[in-house]
Amino acid sequence: MKTDTQRTRRVVMAALGGITAVGLLAGCGSSTPGQAAGDGGDSSGKTTIEFWHRTFTPPENAWYKDIVKRFNASQDKIVVKDTEIPADAWDQKMKAAQAAGKAPDIYTHSGSIQDAVNAGQLYDLGKVVDTSKLDEIIDSAKSVSEIGGTYYAYPLLQEAQTVLFWNKDMLSKAGVDTDKGPATWDDLLADCAKIQPTLAQGQYCISPASDAITFAWSTVGQQYNFAGHTALTDDWKSPDIDNAAYRDLMSKYKELWDKGYMPKQALAAYVEGKDFGQKKVAFKVSGSWMMSEIGSDYPDLLTKTGIGAFPNASNADGRTATTLGNFKWVIDAKSKHADAAGKFLEWSLAGDPQNLVPFFVNTQFTKVPVRKSVQEAVAKDEAAAKAPWSSVITNDIAPDAIPEPTYPWDVSLAVGTAMESVMKGAASPDDAIKTADAAIQKVIQSQDLPSKAPKK
Amino acid sequence: MTTQAIDERRAAKRRADRHRYRDTKLAYLLLAPVVILLGIFVAWPAVYAAFLSFQDWSFYKDPQFVGGKNYVDVLTDPLFVATIGRGFLFVLMTVPPMLVLAFLFASLVVSVSRRFATVLKVSIYIPTIISSVIASIVFVLIYTYDGGILNAVLAVFHIDPVAWIGDPAWALLSVAVPAVWLGMGITSLIMVAAMVDIPTEYYEAAAMEGAGWWQKTFYITMPQMKNVFLYLLITGFVAAIQQFELPLVMTQGGPLDSTTLPNLFIFNHFRNDVNVGYSIAAALLLFVVLGSVSALVFKFINSERLVD
Repeated sequence: MKTDTQRTRRVVMAALGGITAVGLLAGCGSSTPGQAAGDGGDSSGKTTIEFWHRTFTPPENAWYKDIVKRFNASQDKIVVKDTEIPADAWDQKMKAAQAAGKAPDIYTHSGSIQDAVNAGQLYDLGKVVDTSKLDEIIDSAKSVSEIGGTYYAYPLLQEAQTVLFWNKDMLSKAGVDTDKGPATWDDLLADCAKIQPTLAQGQYCISPASDAITFAWSTVGQQYNFAGHTALTDDWKSPDIDNAAYRDLMSKYKELWDKGYMPKQALAAYVEGKDFGQKKVAFKVSGSWMMSEIGSDYPDLLTKTGIGAFPNASNADGRTATTLGNFKWVIDAKSKHADAAGKFLEWSLAGDPQNLVPFFVNTQFTKVPVRKSVQEAVAKDEAAAKAPWSSVITNDIAPDAIPEPTYPWDVSLAVGTAMESVMKGAASPDDAIKTADAAIQKVIQSQDLPSKAPKK
Repeated sequence: MTTQAIDERRAAKRRADRHRYRDTKLAYLLLAPVVILLGIFVAWPAVYAAFLSFQDWSFYKDPQFVGGKNYVDVLTDPLFVATIGRGFLFVLMTVPPMLVLAFLFASLVVSVSRRFATVLKVSIYIPTIISSVIASIVFVLIYTYDGGILNAVLAVFHIDPVAWIGDPAWALLSVAVPAVWLGMGITSLIMVAAMVDIPTEYYEAAAMEGAGWWQKTFYITMPQMKNVFLYLLITGFVAAIQQFELPLVMTQGGPLDSTTLPNLFIFNHFRNDVNVGYSIAAALLLFVVLGSVSALVFKFINSERLVD
């Protein structure tokens, strides 16, 4: 009897142990969000593809939702499942998905595609998108979408990353010209000197970039404006920042900081217009996209907002002060449904121009389409006449803007860190430039940049 | 005869062993779930990470062997060295103040009435159950340059607003404050438990000899709590140097990397680098640093100095 009880107990314990092990392991293998939908096919023969896009401004998010809905309704072979990812969570979510081999079939991509192409992450669009459609991409957008004659990305838009906005009411109160923005940095500093005494507590003359990361990507145009080149020599063999022009640029920001023209702690991110919308700053530096946020979130400010090119260095010789940013769609190199993803991309971005018109109209004409046919269709829209700023962006700022750099991010970051250090008085310009020079030198060596330099 | 004796002894041993190890199979079976899980989620990833730290791998192309390049890159990176130093600075900013404050708080708790002690214990424990992300957001609001509570209070005393999380001189300290606030609850409760455990006879005897609060604290309470202090020191050290969410949410490591603690540094590299080798090598090196310091402290704990 005793033995029986023991045996029974042992069997029960063994069974419990087994069940626990199986249960725990089964729990680990459960499905995770964002996972590619198996082989993507279901019993009805439909192919499901995953599409990830970032959270942008409200009108953009609405367009993304709508275009997916309309594509799904337009045919019955492909189902696109779209997921909106908050911008600040994008990098880690994408990295985790790539590590698990579960990256979405198609997704939005910002910045240079060089690194992603080198790493083999992007699919050759020529295999799934009609060549005539790829040829429609205008020249200025080609540099961000093709490498060595192969297209890896289809741009949705181009947009100036450094634009100056001003609150006409606040400027006129200080007796500053509200029609035209300051042409040079000296003009800007003079305007701020006039504006500062008219401000209430908690208001500032200007809200520019103020941290290393934002400086890194948003001031490349300004570096070009001051120096006539960016932080690397053309052959990518050595840093090119130890010169008077870079010191001059840094000293200008230091002046904004030291004189209290800008807040000591950012009131809002560079990419968003909250501080400008809440009338806390007279000038705001941001990308052209900020106008669409003003339109959607602060409509009463729309007519009171001035927009113009960012101020120049005194010796700029007509060089631009902005880079042309972009958002592209790319197909994952490991996608099992590259064909279906290609069809979705072709229909949405390269198909009927009318699919894209709402995007550019609802974003207040602050972005530039990358196809001539779409540019014409957008210009014909009735609302275009009511958006005088659109000509400033399209005709004054965008045409001579330079593309984003294709060298590695760490180079830009070294410059951004130097700019923040000098501005905040954490380092002298000489020391900051010396540190940045050494950091860039290290990137050149560790990543063997001379071998990756773009061929002329 | 001899053979028979040996056989008998063997048989006896076998019987004894059977008796001694009769639950072996069951023990292995019961351990299996944990061993399998540890194997899958701890042992195998650790081995694989060590393997990958010698490779260049971008998830899309096959890993390429690069020897010790990743380690050389990490060790010669002034930012990595600075980030480890900053980790230790953060430990200094958080652990000693937390231990002192928790000790004072625990002393208060054991000296008041039971009902009031309960109120105190509950209130000090509340921050512990608040997610550190929520705490970060709350503190960002407190530190807001324009319109934040802290600067509003300073304004009452006619002090100019301070860019708490925008100025490299203040940022790390500003992140340390919520870290102390979050860690206070559990530290205080452990100290209260340790204090309650000290025999009251010691205090009674001391009181009869005319000892005051300071003397009782220095000669009775603190020596009796030595082991608890060391336990809290180690766990506090490991938690502080690994702090990640607070700087991630509050400052993203800025301004000027002044709040980039080791884990955030590794995370940023993992997020931005195309190849993961650098981040893995950095993570393994951090593991070495943490392991060495913990081993040193453990050695201290096991030393004779602690034998009562």
